[in-house]
Amino acid sequence: MTPPPSAATALKPVPDTPLCDPVTLEIIRGAIMATQREMEALVERTAISAFIREKKDFYTALFDENGVMAVGSMVPIFGDLTTPVFEKFPRHTMKPGDLYWYNDCYGSKGAVTHSNDQVLLAPVFHEGRLCAFVMGWAHFADIGGLHPGSISPDATSIYQEGIIVPPTKVIDAGVVNTMALDIFHRNSRYPAQSEGDMSALMAAVNLGVTRVAEVVARHDADVVSDALAQLLERTRKLVRTKLAENFDYGTYKFADQIDSDGHGNGPFSLRFALTREKEPDGQDRFIFDATESDDQAPGPVNLIMNKGVPGMALGLFYLGGDPSQVCNAGGPLAIDEVRLREGSIVQPKFPAPLGMRGLTMMRMLAVLNGMVNRGKGGAPAAQSAYVITIMRGTYGKETGAPKDFLLADGIGVGYGARDFADGIDAVYFVAQENYPVEFLESGYPVRLRKYGVVPDSGGPGRWRGGTGIIREYEVLADEIRLAVRIDGVKNPPWGYGGGKSAGVGGAWVNPGTEREHVIPPLSDGTLLVKGDVLRIQTGGGGGMGHPYDRPAEAVLEDVLGGFVTPEAARAEYGVVITDDALDHAATEALRADRPAVKAFHRNTYRDELS
Amino acid sequence: MALDKEPTSLAVAVDIGGTFTDVALVDHATGRSWRAKTPSIPSDPSEAFLNGIRLAMGQAGASGPDLDQVLHGTTVATNMILEGKGARAALVTTRGFRHVLAIGRQDIPRKANLYTWVKPIPPVPASRIVEVDERVAAGGAVIDPLDDASVLAAARAIRGMKVEAVAICLLHAYANPEHERRVAEILRAELPDLAITVSSDVLPVVREYERSLTTVLNATVMPGVTTYVSRLEQRLKDEGATPPLMLMQSNGGVAGAPKIRVAPALTALSGPAAGVVGARAEAEACGIKDIITVDIGGTSADICLIKDGKIGLTQNGSVGEWPLALPMVDMITIGAGGGSLARIKNGGLTVGPESSGARPGPASYGHGGTEPTVTDAHVVLGQLPARLLGGSMTLDTGAAEAAVASVAQPLGLDQEAAARGILAIADNHMVGAIRVVSVERGHDPRDFTLVPFGGAGPLHGCALADLLGIRRVLVTNAPGVLCANGLLAADLKSEFSRALAIPGPMNGPETEAVIAELDAQAEAWLDEEDVLQEARVIERVALMRYAGQGGEIAVPWSPDRAEVEANFAETHKALYGFSLSAPIELVTLRVHATGLARNAPAVTLEPGEAPAPTEFTTVLIDGAKTEVPVIDRATLGAGARFEGPSILTQLDTTTFVAPGWSGAVHPSGNILLEKAAL
Repeated sequence: MTPPPSAATALKPVPDTPLCDPVTLEIIRGAIMATQREMEALVERTAISAFIREKKDFYTALFDENGVMAVGSMVPIFGDLTTPVFEKFPRHTMKPGDLYWYNDCYGSKGAVTHSNDQVLLAPVFHEGRLCAFVMGWAHFADIGGLHPGSISPDATSIYQEGIIVPPTKVIDAGVVNTMALDIFHRNSRYPAQSEGDMSALMAAVNLGVTRVAEVVARHDADVVSDALAQLLERTRKLVRTKLAENFDYGTYKFADQIDSDGHGNGPFSLRFALTREKEPDGQDRFIFDATESDDQAPGPVNLIMNKGVPGMALGLFYLGGDPSQVCNAGGPLAIDEVRLREGSIVQPKFPAPLGMRGLTMMRMLAVLNGMVNRGKGGAPAAQSAYVITIMRGTYGKETGAPKDFLLADGIGVGYGARDFADGIDAVYFVAQENYPVEFLESGYPVRLRKYGVVPDSGGPGRWRGGTGIIREYEVLADEIRLAVRIDGVKNPPWGYGGGKSAGVGGAWVNPGTEREHVIPPLSDGTLLVKGDVLRIQTGGGGGMGHPYDRPAEAVLEDVLGGFVTPEAARAEYGVVITDDALDHAATEALRADRPAVKAFHRNTYRDELS
Repeated sequence: MALDKEPTSLAVAVDIGGTFTDVALVDHATGRSWRAKTPSIPSDPSEAFLNGIRLAMGQAGASGPDLDQVLHGTTVATNMILEGKGARAALVTTRGFRHVLAIGRQDIPRKANLYTWVKPIPPVPASRIVEVDERVAAGGAVIDPLDDASVLAAARAIRGMKVEAVAICLLHAYANPEHERRVAEILRAELPDLAITVSSDVLPVVREYERSLTTVLNATVMPGVTTYVSRLEQRLKDEGATPPLMLMQSNGGVAGAPKIRVAPALTALSGPAAGVVGARAEAEACGIKDIITVDIGGTSADICLIKDGKIGLTQNGSVGEWPLALPMVDMITIGAGGGSLARIKNGGLTVGPESSGARPGPASYGHGGTEPTVTDAHVVLGQLPARLLGGSMTLDTGAAEAAVASVAQPLGLDQEAAARGILAIADNHMVGAIRVVSVERGHDPRDFTLVPFGGAGPLHGCALADLLGIRRVLVTNAPGVLCANGLLAADLKSEFSRALAIPGPMNGPETEAVIAELDAQAEAWLDEEDVLQEARVIERVALMRYAGQGGEIAVPWSPDRAEVEANFAETHKALYGFSLSAPIELVTLRVHATGLARNAPAVTLEPGEAPAPTEFTTVLIDGAKTEVPVIDRATLGAGARFEGPSILTQLDTTTFVAPGWSGAVHPSGNILLEKAAL
């Protein structure tokens, strides 16, 4: 058997009579989850940048003594975060009070996937024994690079995306390497923010170390170690069982595209395959293969897909909403082999730019959903990739002392419909919040004219896809250079089981006027001046199930609420609405003639997407 | 017991819980008090309200006209919000922003699974949200004047929606409420039968989603609470009582019925807040000012930290899945209580958040429950004796054992280990929450006294304290009915705040004008509530932050900017461990108006030694059957001392005093448990 894709060491076997009884296991699990909450509370209360405080782009995790993630955050994007540190700083060299730090995407094989994300990792010791690791992770608003905010569709090399920190011992047995920090903060356009955020993240990791050490002291290191092993094994077993239920022996392929790299190239296909084989001993063998994906892009849409990520995402899906389950490396460990091709869009060669990889990451999740649905199914339809606008500009010319500003505004999208519920309307991602209109307008030189959902952007279906968002800004600044990141415009998120594909996004300046023009959806450098109006529309999620099976009352409620237009109600759902009321007879007549459907839908119905 | 003389100052407090309605009656002149308990009547809570008052008055030999003050904690608003059963309402908002509620904060919650999470439908769906033409800028300046015609059109649309209530929330109304007021004026004329809530009245603070949601929640509970309050008043009138009816608010203070009719959402956490106020009052009677309260009921536990006798308030609280940005006692609620169910999930043992509820309740209650609960675990271990107080209530030990065995066997545990496990897991949940409350407020729990209350609280007190390293536990006079006591101890409280048009450096003289206005509002309210001059307390605070931060810290206001800023920096450092050289911004000015509660003279307990225990019960302690004394609390005089392990019994609760702990009765009647030094 090939080594597991996650950290250095394989899972320890769990003995028949485990060292940690079920009660203690639950207590340890509860204590670790509470520790995570405490760390998060501390970061939220003390970080300085709006990116962390208001948008909340930060996560925490706990690892066992071997660096295998035992309790993670509920995000499907974490890979193997500890091996990059161990390669340079072997575990046996570590001391209490150490803190390790990196943001090196290539050096960490995609444990982090753009340089803005800082990872802090600390060992936990008890009576001289290394027992666990605690991690804090946060997106820093600016770390230098080509443009303010550090990520830009313009980038053609990772060197333009800010300072790179290889795995570094930033605290050596309690002694802080302030020089390393000084160099880092000096590279930021907002050094005070950088310093404040780093203090907050360090304090949180420090708190986590204290708490986990207390847990170990209370329960004994061997018991805690066994507890973490059980949590891992519990998740791994569940994911393998579900994989086997989902996939018969054979190979299941799915492909999806991103539109462009912002440099005139594209589309780029992500082609994934999952193979289930029977080993000579009768055991299952699961192989994940992404080697057929397209070559890497010149522009910054490349995603270094860590080998742990496909398993982490599938794991999170299979764990479902059960709060007693833990999202951890049991997911990656459930997959026996991950095949990637260097030079592909999901395994680019250094120093390809990565800054806009968010859209590729969202597409990756959609491909995994599609792969599950090529099996026995149960995964959501595709979602749109979350959208970001980055505004860099100046304001206050009339005061004689114009000021600079940077606004990175994340905008939600629609998520794919499920076979039990509509797709989620208008959300960005797990744990990441918006900038409220009233917060934005009191701190930045913009005024919003509209902030709402986009009618008909959710893919029609028995279960409707989530809707995208329209956000319309009036520019009050003297001048703004604008970057936008919108994907899925040419290749809308697919629908499944009769559900249709979603509406797409776009960006316009001065819409509806003579000065209207369209902004390329993935671009940087558009000049906006005072009085201009910028309209951003985001895409929705794909639908699930035959639209004619959606209860007419639900369609009516969607129409009255502005989620679906009356025209689409008739054309897509076969529901006739007159004067805000259902026309039952007309609806029945229309629905009698039921269009044929196929498994997948993207603009048209099709049996497969590849 | 009859009164010796004409009653002159009787105050009655009524707390309506899910099962029982508790009543406390006090004579402010003498300090004498009476208690009553009567079954709650969920179909008409006002009936139990009256029954309880009659019972207590009967004990005191008093009648309706003798009542001077009626205090009440109500869960009417809470339940309507939690169960989504408020009135059908509409929302009026600024054109272009109809979907603010549907979008929310645009996030999938941090602890949710993105594949399974379903976004909750807001209390007012988009189909009942109408837009009007107007726009106010961040500073409060009018960009587009309000178009009356669009309001009339909104009124027509709302008429067709068949709603009972309307909420109005326009962008930046916290900075300039004129447009909202005009909309309200037109709608009141056009739709005279509807209850109308205006955001700038209820919650004049920045952030449109939270303000809209709070306004909408207020609108949906308004018809129900108004009807309820009127019914209570009618009941009192029928008894010949005409005292002011004061209702407990989430902020830990009471307010008169007129205010609650306008802003009923202020009572959303009425019940838990009353308990916290009661706990603080009891602690203060013992001279203790730093406490952590744990109110353990049947399905949940509320945890609150009080430093220097000050109950912290938050505007980032929530009720159920909805954030509610009104000032409320800063506490955390978790799904762990006496009725929390122990279940096997994924091969492991879990406790809660599912609960056996009031019915069937724990297996040991004998109402048909078969699944083990936290209470059953206490029974199995003997911490909760089957026969309490000479047999007034018996518990079914066999049923408890069978229930616990049903999870013990599949896990390969013996019954005792499973019972201990259930308690350990529940305690662990609570300890986690206590730690989070502490870190959020920047404190170390070991510096605090733990005050466990609620029917199930005192069973967990010593165990929680041991886990937290806390060395003192306060078991109040009546932990099971502390909420009613809290009502009697609660001050009148209200906040008046004004957000700055644009946050920026504090300008001392300019703030003086704003503070003067807020002072005037506060005094006007205190006048309305008939508060005597000498009982009035006015506290002025400035909510400040470092430029760029998202949350504010409240510091005392003064016109001296340097002083306020120095105070802010110091507080920031104390709370979070560091201060910055960044510019400091003033965000909001707030005036807290308080009308101090009348203090009844303190009643002290007669001194007395603990009688030699006559009753013993078997408790499983660390695997050993141990004979433990059962002490009837009523037999203890002030200064009486006793050692753990022991069990204290009283009508409303049972206390387990763990080994290593010893107890002493304070002259106030409260019991202090102390951990022996190692």
